[in-house]
Amino acid sequence: MDKEELINGYFENSLTSAQLQELERLYSTDLDFAQQLDYEKELRKALKSNERNEIRNMFNELQPIKQANEKKKSLVVQLRPWMMAASIALLVGICSWLLLFNKPNQSPEELYKIHFAPYENVVHPIERGVEIEDLKTRAFTAYENEEFEKALVLFKELNTKSTDSYLQFYEAIVLMQLEKHEEAIPLLENYIAVNGELKERAQWYLSLSYLKTKQLDKSKSLLMQLTRQDGFKSKEASNLLKELN
Amino acid sequence: MTDEQLIADMKNRNRNALKVVYKDYREEFFRFAHRYDTQQSYLEDIFQDAILALYENAQNGKLDTLKSSVKTYLFSIGKFMLFKTFRDTKEFVTDEDFIFDQREEAVFTEIMEDQEPTEKQLMLVANFKKLGEKCRQILELFYLQGLKIEEIMAVQGYENKNVVKSQKSRCLKSLKDLIQQ
Repeated sequence: MDKEELINGYFENSLTSAQLQELERLYSTDLDFAQQLDYEKELRKALKSNERNEIRNMFNELQPIKQANEKKKSLVVQLRPWMMAASIALLVGICSWLLLFNKPNQSPEELYKIHFAPYENVVHPIERGVEIEDLKTRAFTAYENEEFEKALVLFKELNTKSTDSYLQFYEAIVLMQLEKHEEAIPLLENYIAVNGELKERAQWYLSLSYLKTKQLDKSKSLLMQLTRQDGFKSKEASNLLKELN
Repeated sequence: MTDEQLIADMKNRNRNALKVVYKDYREEFFRFAHRYDTQQSYLEDIFQDAILALYENAQNGKLDTLKSSVKTYLFSIGKFMLFKTFRDTKEFVTDEDFIFDQREEAVFTEIMEDQEPTEKQLMLVANFKKLGEKCRQILELFYLQGLKIEEIMAVQGYENKNVVKSQKSRCLKSLKDLIQQ
């Protein structure tokens, strides 16, 4: 058996143990033989490795779930910014439609509803758990609890006993809450006249009361004043003014 | 497709047979392998390696006298690989009492430990692809499909063994020349 046949036999797996021994002997003594065997072994390895990789790639393309998931994921990633942009555009569209084109339909009544909220109690803060004793506390507790009927009775009583002008302001707010704007207006006008601490607030609520009672010119002039003062609700006043004009 | 057909196709290095095996048994293999409480991410690799081992052992003639079904053989390879990866192969007993011989196990191990090809191997493959059709055929039959010189003579219709031998030798030399260019 020549050297070539020995090498072929090695790859065919057909060598006897004596032939294998001969192969090993030549491998350690004959450089050319060793190089040839190594070269062929390396070639076989390379071809096998290449084939395995090709088959693995083929399998990866067949993989059903993984592929579907990856596709889904990338689609979501691509869509998200577009969807955000689209929803913002839609929102802006709806808002401007409501603001620009719906304006003539918005009555003073509706504008009042949008802008009126009872003024928060800032002069007599209630500490929960403190025993309710005096009239003011009871009045403001009722006010904060939105028990406006009860609050009105208490503020009326207070206004006969106390000279604190801010009580007029809160009574006016309670009256507005109870849709008694005609009664609220003189209280607010009076409060503004005496330059009460919450004057700007009073102006705002007075302008809303004028709006509600359809005294639009009075309302507008107050709103203009608020806008110029650049203080409490000046921005909202300016917006409201634009809506009224 | 019958098992006989499947084995014959694999021996002829027909990759469509592998696609059939992959598609037909993937789902069931994942269910089967789940019993050995394995992380899902490894299962795909093990399943692919098991098919590769089935494929190479088919070419080595290990399936010629197979008494069980191809599926049972494939799942036993999978189980062997699962044990080799996560447990101890000494514990390994298949339901059918398969005893893999040394050569079969050597193939499993080789596939599982398969490394990324080296630069030298990539170069060999790249130049191999430049060889003529006849050369590629004879070298693939010999090294990949594991046919003996005599078998190549019969399959390819060569006159005698010596023609095959010298053809193979010439092709190896051509490849060497391509690399040295």
